[in-house]
Amino acid sequence: MNKLLEIKDLHASIGGKEILKGVNLVINEGEVHAIMGPNGAGKSTLSAVLTGNPAYEVTSGEVYLKGQDLLAMPAEVRALAGVFLSFQYPVEIPGVSMTNFMRAALNAKREYEGKEPISPKEFLSLMREKKKLLELPDKLNNRSVNEGFSGGEKKKNEIFQMAMLEPCLSILDETDSGLDIDALRIVAEGVNRLKTPENASIVITHYQRLLDYIVPDFVHVLADGKIVKTGDKSLALELEEKGYEGLNL
Amino acid sequence: MVNIKSGETFERVFLNEPEVNLHIVQEAGSHVKIHVLNMPSKQAEGSNLQTILNEITIEQAGEGCETEIYALAYLHDHESVTTETHVTHAVGGGTSNQLVKFVLADQSRGRFVGDLKIAPDAQKTDAHQTNRNLLLSEEAEMRTQPQLEIYADDVKATHGASTGQLDESALFYMQQRGIDKQKARQLLVNAFMVDVLQTIGDEELKERLLHSIDGVVE
Repeated sequence: MNKLLEIKDLHASIGGKEILKGVNLVINEGEVHAIMGPNGAGKSTLSAVLTGNPAYEVTSGEVYLKGQDLLAMPAEVRALAGVFLSFQYPVEIPGVSMTNFMRAALNAKREYEGKEPISPKEFLSLMREKKKLLELPDKLNNRSVNEGFSGGEKKKNEIFQMAMLEPCLSILDETDSGLDIDALRIVAEGVNRLKTPENASIVITHYQRLLDYIVPDFVHVLADGKIVKTGDKSLALELEEKGYEGLNL
Repeated sequence: MVNIKSGETFERVFLNEPEVNLHIVQEAGSHVKIHVLNMPSKQAEGSNLQTILNEITIEQAGEGCETEIYALAYLHDHESVTTETHVTHAVGGGTSNQLVKFVLADQSRGRFVGDLKIAPDAQKTDAHQTNRNLLLSEEAEMRTQPQLEIYADDVKATHGASTGQLDESALFYMQQRGIDKQKARQLLVNAFMVDVLQTIGDEELKERLLHSIDGVVE
């Protein structure tokens, strides 16, 4: 099994306050890892640090993606190397159409891979195919990125972009929050259909519910900036039943 | 001074003119639509323009006139543009709509003076003035001076002015999708300018300008 991501003793802070206090994690190709934990444990900080959000500072530790120093890469290069974040709060970008946005993203990736820009015809048919996967409306193309989207549409739009860009490592940051049961099913099915033996996912969630749909190989409990417990999917059920306090951490 | 006769339409686009000095008197039911665009291309670099003054004076002398003023300046280096609008509603039933935008990079400077008068007799006037500015550098500077004088009581008049910077969270969102920062900035700047260009009536010119801003790179 090939190692995809390796996090070694990662410490990170925001505004001088330490949030991650020594995270260690290895993710192999083909695996789904769930990260659960109480509010303020550092779940979203972990996703922000892995994707290069400039608001956070890595104070020590190392992260490797396929053996390459991930922390040395600018945010966009991490994305091009295959790290994708489904944002907890997708950003609205008035005036930038989904078409222009997606084309810029896709062509950046193709350029990185030494390929020619995608032809307009191919691009549109790819958009159509992936929209269908997420049951998104046709009129999406001309709408501004996330502007005026409902909560469910925003999350579907994240997974749609994931489908377009085919990352090797997707981080789903509370993708289930704000979703009704139908949208949850569509989003989860989308994620499952994008799964391959070569890629992997980190699923950050508060609730076991999502893990009924996206079944994890491992469940980690993040508390106070560290992974304090690791188990299989039954750990999520145990958490649901007993709460974090019941774990005797 | 230009007189626009009753019921006539006057439509002009001033594109990269070194100066615009326009004084228009509108007769009843006439329609004026003006675009003032200062978007010097990067190729003009070295030509070192430039302090530009745009001065637009409109008097609605007859009833039921319609006035639209759109101004857009996208400036670099030490370029400086002042746009002044003086709109007077002398009689009633008229509408005026102004949208003025500046995008300021490097050490460029922008200034907008928006002078709007609604005379005591100009009842049922509907007047709107909006000024939005985007600063792309710490050294760029914008000054906005709206001046509204409203002497009639049965009117609708709004004005708004704001100056801001590119949205950092939008930049990061785009970078997270693999778009480099320069391209991301360009997409946001273009998005900011699009609504002004979309109001241009000349379809060919509109398409050309919309197409051209895809190539404007910081």
